[in-house]
Amino acid sequence: MPIFWLTFRQLIGAKRTMLLASAALLPVLLALVFRSGGDQEPAHWTAQTLLAQFVVGTMLPLAALVFGTAALGSEIDDGTAVYLLSKPIPRAAILLPKLAAAVLLTAGFVLVATIVSGAIAAWGSTDGAAVLVGFSVAVVTGAVVYCALFMLLSVMTTRAFIAGLIYVFIWEGVVTRLFTGTRIFSVRQYTLGVADGVASVGNDVFKSDLSAASAVLMMVLVGVGATLLAIRRLRRFEIGETA
Amino acid sequence: MTVDVRREPQAESPAAPGQYAIEVTNVSKWYGNVVAVNDITFALGPGVTGLLGPNGAGKSTLLHMMSGFLKPSSGSVRVLGASAWQHPDMYRSVGLVPEREAVYRFLSGWEFVLLSAKLQGLKDPEAAARRAIHEVDMESAQHRATGGYSKGMKQRVKVAAAIVHEPQVLVLDEPFNGADPRQRLHLMDMLREMAANGRTIVFSSHILEEVERLAERVLVVVAGRLAASGDFREIRRLMTDRPHTFTVRSSDNRRLASALVADPSVFGVELGDGRVTVRTSEFLAFAQAVARVARTADVSLFELLPTDESLESVFSYLVQR
Repeated sequence: MPIFWLTFRQLIGAKRTMLLASAALLPVLLALVFRSGGDQEPAHWTAQTLLAQFVVGTMLPLAALVFGTAALGSEIDDGTAVYLLSKPIPRAAILLPKLAAAVLLTAGFVLVATIVSGAIAAWGSTDGAAVLVGFSVAVVTGAVVYCALFMLLSVMTTRAFIAGLIYVFIWEGVVTRLFTGTRIFSVRQYTLGVADGVASVGNDVFKSDLSAASAVLMMVLVGVGATLLAIRRLRRFEIGETA
Repeated sequence: MTVDVRREPQAESPAAPGQYAIEVTNVSKWYGNVVAVNDITFALGPGVTGLLGPNGAGKSTLLHMMSGFLKPSSGSVRVLGASAWQHPDMYRSVGLVPEREAVYRFLSGWEFVLLSAKLQGLKDPEAAARRAIHEVDMESAQHRATGGYSKGMKQRVKVAAAIVHEPQVLVLDEPFNGADPRQRLHLMDMLREMAANGRTIVFSSHILEEVERLAERVLVVVAGRLAASGDFREIRRLMTDRPHTFTVRSSDNRRLASALVADPSVFGVELGDGRVTVRTSEFLAFAQAVARVARTADVSLFELLPTDESLESVFSYLVQR
């Protein structure tokens, strides 16, 4: 528990958190703009454009990237990691509370943005509630997998943030759109698959490229795999003269 | 010259495995083609040992290997009988003070030390944190955020966090950096007391005087090699009695040179550039003789300067021996 609170305070106190809090207002603004003059069916626009493209496609990976790479990576960078690594505790007991803090903050920001903006945009729509529930569950599960992946990057490279940006914008944003077969390696697609499975709305409202079953299976594989690899990497982590 | 600490009075007989708190055996560490530590062997028991060497000599690499943070490329590092690498349980009996100034800026000194006590799994972390903070004389500033601490205060709170569980072995990397003279003395007294209670304390420094004041034993590391190790007084004597070079300007350099060459403390004299260059192996004897010789030769001394007294040159001399 001390490591969870330490990480939570560390992450919440940083300037980046204020920036993310401001960014969480953007989908709300978009929803308000839509309500004032949008001509598409509300549930469809909410699912397809607001939540799938903006929240899941941009906000969720960016928030996870910020918190996931900083939860342990910032301590490795500034040298404070030594105070945790020099304690008689298993490396998993260092990494898991840090992952939990990163997930809590990522999911917290994105969930609030999802619920508030989604409620505004889909208000009065028949499928609105189902879409909101589906995406709420999806962003929480997506936050877990993204954070695990980015935390793994932070113990593997000192340029985890750059590597994460490349993954989000080049791999998920471009490559998986051009080559549909690569979508099985995209956390964004897993998240959308979960949203589709939980929401269970008609194809005219929202349809993901991955089935819910495949998405859940891949989420478990990638999330657990990344976490175990990160723990293993932390066990063998060397601190040189500059760390 | 190597005075192996295994032959110090506390360890007359050959070392049995696990007899020493820290055992470093044929340890090397390299990064690509760069050799940071080159085949170093020593063993340390209770007391204070100073790891002395110029910046970049490999002291921190050696300390990081003793702390279990770096895997030796070859050889073994054992602390309290077990391998230091990938052995977190070791930290129940080992405390570490890293060189880097970084602390959790948003935590107060109290929270920082308490965190350390909690992570050590102590039964009464609050009492342990209070005791450790008292030890380093930080009670008055303990509730301020460490981000606002001076460098010396950060050093002290780092030491408090490292000793909160009363470790058997304490490893400190340049612990006196940034500490003012009073804090330095206080910290030295505290470390001496810990050593007197049977603890093994190793600290690194590039300042000879710090090591001289605190360490009973010294390991001199130069360019990744163990240049000397053993009793500090023995190494200090070698450093003092090494060849020294002085330049002298006088009213009559030629007459002074011929007078000095007859003195037994001098083994070389060279004239040129309006000065006499004198080489001696006895620093104190020469310092005492030069004025007497000049007076006898009726020569006035204008300037007497030692040359190349840098710590690096002292270390280089020890390596060459």
